[in-house]
Amino acid sequence: MSKELGSERLGDLYKPGGKVRRRREWRGLRDTLYDYSRWLHIMGILAKFIIVPRNLKAMFRYRWMANYLAVPMMIDRHTAGLRGPQLRICHTEYDLITYDVAQLLSNLFKGDRHLGNDKKLSDKTVLLDENEMTVFMMGFPNLKGLSRETPSVYVSVLLNQHAVEHYLDVAQEYGLTPDVCPMPAAEAGVSMDDDFPVLGACAVQCNTTCDGSLMGNGVISKRLELEDGVPCFQLAAPMRHEADDVQEYAAQEMKNCIKFIEEKTGHKWDWDHYFKCAKQVNESTRHRQEWLDMSKTDYPQVIGANLALYTETNYMAICGRVPAFLDADRKITKLAEEAYRKKTKVCKEYRHRAIIWGVQSQYYTEFLPWLQNCWGILPLTDMLSMVSTRVLSEDDKEMAYYDMAWLNSHMIMRNRTHGGYKVLLDDLWEFCEEFHADMVILWEHMSCKALTGMHGQFEEKAREKGIHLIWVSHDLMDPRVIPRQDVRDDVNRYMRTVLREEPVDPSLEVLDDVHSW
Amino acid sequence: MKDLKHLYYFEKLLEDAYNDLVRQAKDEGKVCVGSMCEYTPEPLLNLPGTFSVRLRAPRTGSMEMATYYLTSLLCEYSRALLERAMEGGFNFLDCLIAPDGCTMINRCAENMELLHTMSAGKEHFFHEYMEVPLKADDNGLNLYKVQCTNHILNPLKEHYGIDTSDEAIRSAIEEHNKVCSLIRAIGDYRKELHPKITGYEFHIITLASYVVPKYLIIDKLQETLDELAEREPDTKDKYRCRVVLVGSEIDDVDVVKLIEDSGAYVCADRFCYGSFPGRNPIEIREGEDPLTAVCRHEMYESQCARYMNMEKMLGRRSLVDELAKEYKADGIIYEQMKFCDPWAYERMVGTQVMREEYGYPVLAIDRPYAVGNSGQIRTRVQAFCESVEIKKIQGGGR
Repeated sequence: MSKELGSERLGDLYKPGGKVRRRREWRGLRDTLYDYSRWLHIMGILAKFIIVPRNLKAMFRYRWMANYLAVPMMIDRHTAGLRGPQLRICHTEYDLITYDVAQLLSNLFKGDRHLGNDKKLSDKTVLLDENEMTVFMMGFPNLKGLSRETPSVYVSVLLNQHAVEHYLDVAQEYGLTPDVCPMPAAEAGVSMDDDFPVLGACAVQCNTTCDGSLMGNGVISKRLELEDGVPCFQLAAPMRHEADDVQEYAAQEMKNCIKFIEEKTGHKWDWDHYFKCAKQVNESTRHRQEWLDMSKTDYPQVIGANLALYTETNYMAICGRVPAFLDADRKITKLAEEAYRKKTKVCKEYRHRAIIWGVQSQYYTEFLPWLQNCWGILPLTDMLSMVSTRVLSEDDKEMAYYDMAWLNSHMIMRNRTHGGYKVLLDDLWEFCEEFHADMVILWEHMSCKALTGMHGQFEEKAREKGIHLIWVSHDLMDPRVIPRQDVRDDVNRYMRTVLREEPVDPSLEVLDDVHSW
Repeated sequence: MKDLKHLYYFEKLLEDAYNDLVRQAKDEGKVCVGSMCEYTPEPLLNLPGTFSVRLRAPRTGSMEMATYYLTSLLCEYSRALLERAMEGGFNFLDCLIAPDGCTMINRCAENMELLHTMSAGKEHFFHEYMEVPLKADDNGLNLYKVQCTNHILNPLKEHYGIDTSDEAIRSAIEEHNKVCSLIRAIGDYRKELHPKITGYEFHIITLASYVVPKYLIIDKLQETLDELAEREPDTKDKYRCRVVLVGSEIDDVDVVKLIEDSGAYVCADRFCYGSFPGRNPIEIREGEDPLTAVCRHEMYESQCARYMNMEKMLGRRSLVDELAKEYKADGIIYEQMKFCDPWAYERMVGTQVMREEYGYPVLAIDRPYAVGNSGQIRTRVQAFCESVEIKKIQGGGR
């Protein structure tokens, strides 16, 4: 137990059968104090949130709100084993995301017909799909783009692995087959269970992730439009998004979407604000590219969970609309550059350089720090972070529609799971070369047809190229199907039987965290 | 009833993808275009010099090789097609044009390409993938026309020198409409309370029209229609209720047979490979070019669950209601192939809506690609028939 990397047996922190860990990690005096100060900061955000009476009421109105008690624990899980700059990068990201989600919740409950019923706020709210690039809000500075699914489903599972099991059961009791992706199924379940806040002048849905998501939105829009009276626009993103002959269609969809929002809210599109946001997107892209460039060297700095969750949030949900994220980008780059110059290590041992591919398990996002700490596998980058690096026009209005459409159709995940096999299959091997990776950890989300439909091709190509390919199966949001230990065992088995290695931290190999948050 | 004269002939055509009529057309030098989904408009694949075959894998057994590539988590239709392709069962194709419709079929087609299942040694063979609209509107129509031009008409012209002019498309529409009007007229006999044709017989005839060169069966369809006019129906009703069968892809000849053997007469077929909407004739409006007519028709008539705009979503259920009324159905059977995402949701919502909002008895089933003589489905249909009968006896609503 010291400031040295790997100085503590991290598995010993887990209490068998418990929800929380035994105690906080000791990281040496300076890092422990820093970590504790951030813990206090998070508690401060939560306290400020909960003293608002309607937010407190929301804790009792919405079943999924109870998961937010686990926010500090979630951050602790993602900082496991980190020291120095990586610890600071992680807190920079997660503190900001926590604040942003708290703001989202506050706004949702303020406008919610069940709670705050603030009509003024509701009338300037556009409900957004969880899986949607928020690009079409970049030119509406006076409107609020709020997603109901993000806090109720997406974030809830990050906080508590069992968060949406109830909603999955609701959907299945209603007649949904259990073999579809649990994310849209859970969202549909929340809608059926009447557990979404109800507000908004209009809603924009999309088809971005998959057939299941597209269809699940049909369940939600039926209720939203026909029962709650909130008009919905379905924003279609082309499936073969790389093709030239779909771009005009996509751009026209974007124009139609913006027109719909203007009609329903009475607000006009503001080009100046759009281009301001576009500049921020471009700068964020440059930062992300810089972090990725570092990861191609022997001294990667922004990797694993530090890269994945932050990129998802910043790229998809923020889209240049929140200046605080740009400040965070700059701070992360500064920390990373300094650490790179000092050749700072991320974890105790570097044994394998891995690309994480496929769709991550939402109930086990701290799997990436686990790879570092348990086996010395560096998760250099992941599929969801390898998103568009296109530079957006900062002054051409017609081009801007094409840029927005491009970003929309290149939403995280679907920019790889759709668009033809090249972006999913061929690009992976190119990234392996670029990042000097000897290993691919391939998430096999068992309900994701786009991924599993390339199963055999991945195996054949990995064999051909001599890359260690480790399949890690999961069911995205339902740990009852594949528990976290089974996820870990996929790696443990390969490392012991094929590579004949011993873990860096043996205490992490088997953890009793089936009941844990 | 006396057997239909050509029923055995049609049944034989369905025993093999590379059937006698496909062989005949190939021998005549025609280009065989493979398709996998209704999103690839049939008339554009049946231009002078070409004919289409919608892929199916009759008599499917093991799917082990395809399961390795696609895993057991993809629907059996996609796996059965890939397996058959790997076995060489589709080697007669000259090209494959697949829409990026559902993910599973798209991955199936991509695996066929990557594994060179059909293209090996064929100089002119090509794979094409189409973007297809997700909403029925003007923007979707423009997209559809561009995609049909770039991924159907242009490649056929470039690779095989096919005439893709407006005149050629018009003649293809004419032939398509001829087949559709014959099938529609044959299907109309299902409206009668003592129908002159069973749902099974109709399914066989309709199914055949998707997998053979159309021009080679028009005479048989006409003769069947003439024969039906004279056919004496059974006076004693052997069915316990009448149902509309709604759902995902059915190219297995045993599905309708099993349902009818269990007591439910399939009076209307609203599924892929069925006649609604696949055998609705195409209207060319005044001043409209034929390509636009085909795309407009396909987009607005399609009942694919993947269409995401509200009008389409609600329209899918109201069409089922209209069919049930027109064909005098007592109930609805929603079926879905296991692992089919679009129909998993549409089946769930449709079942609830048709039951709660329209008041029909509804049975929801999921099924494998080849049902064979499934005891589970048989029992469920029998129980459903019984529940419908009880409702009738008790004088309740539908």
